[in-house]
Amino acid sequence: MTGSAGHALAALQDALAAEQAASYGYGVVGARLPQGSAAQAVAGSDWVAHLRAQDRLTELINARGATPAPAAVAYHLPFPVDSPAAAKTLAATLEDRVAAAYLGLVAQPEPELRRLGAEQVRAAALRAEAWRGSTQAFPGLPEASLRR
Amino acid sequence: MGAEAATPPGGAEGGAVSRRALLAASAVGLPVLLAACKGVRALGTPPPPAPNIIELRSAIAAEELMLARYAATLNLLRSQPAGQPPRLEPAIQAVHVEHAAHALQLKARLIEPAGSALALSPTPTPSVSAGPAGDVTAQVGALEQAEQAASDRLISQLAGLPPSLAQLFASIAASEATHVSFLQAARRVR
Repeated sequence: MTGSAGHALAALQDALAAEQAASYGYGVVGARLPQGSAAQAVAGSDWVAHLRAQDRLTELINARGATPAPAAVAYHLPFPVDSPAAAKTLAATLEDRVAAAYLGLVAQPEPELRRLGAEQVRAAALRAEAWRGSTQAFPGLPEASLRR
Repeated sequence: MGAEAATPPGGAEGGAVSRRALLAASAVGLPVLLAACKGVRALGTPPPPAPNIIELRSAIAAEELMLARYAATLNLLRSQPAGQPPRLEPAIQAVHVEHAAHALQLKARLIEPAGSALALSPTPTPSVSAGPAGDVTAQVGALEQAEQAASDRLISQLAGLPPSLAQLFASIAASEATHVSFLQAARRVR
């Protein structure tokens, strides 16, 4: 496998890992939101979006002759999630991490991967905005990458 | 190699250069010397900017236009504060700040060779009218459409960009898409 193909595969695996973590996290989000609420329904549809994204990434990794890395059995939550407010914050945090992972695909030279990455950064940013109620100037980009 | 081959054309003999040979050499060399005296400009126009510079300048111009449109909308909103959704002005201000940040980051990545055709012609600051008088709702609706179009355009420009610039474009495209739903939500709150 050439360097470029290897980098693309690593970026796909990173995006898959972020999607798997988000899918797990949305299980926690849904459990902490009021039963039958509109927010819980949104969490359900966002969870489905992440499952579909995992399927797409799995296909792309398989098509390159590689094996998709399996999801972990459990994930360490970034902070205690013991209220609906914390659940919404977790959902926004998960989306931020997904956006960051897809920016790795945007850095690849293949136009198809670049476009997929950009579309998914946008989708994650939209979900994060819905959970957070505010926007970000640079979704997914680490602070250190911004020029002063 | 024989003696004939060592004799320069034009009849140099015994190491001396004939007057005819000197005149011929001068005729050939003169244009080159003249061109050299005129400096770099005489050699041709500067090379066209690289494609990513064109995309970058286009993105900067789009952000500056957006900044002007938001400023015009804020002015319109402040001239008619009564009856407006309470969250609209802070929302427009927040998005305006993000566009300023976008423009700043894009400009920080613009490194043009001195003397390039584009570097010599600074972009004028766009001026935007406030649109239909008194129609804040229509103005904000137009901003939402412009945001969506800007997001789509940035994503369509990704191919061929250097990786870090592609990431910046994709992140800004995502941010601009979120402005649409953010403004829509601010308009709905009464």
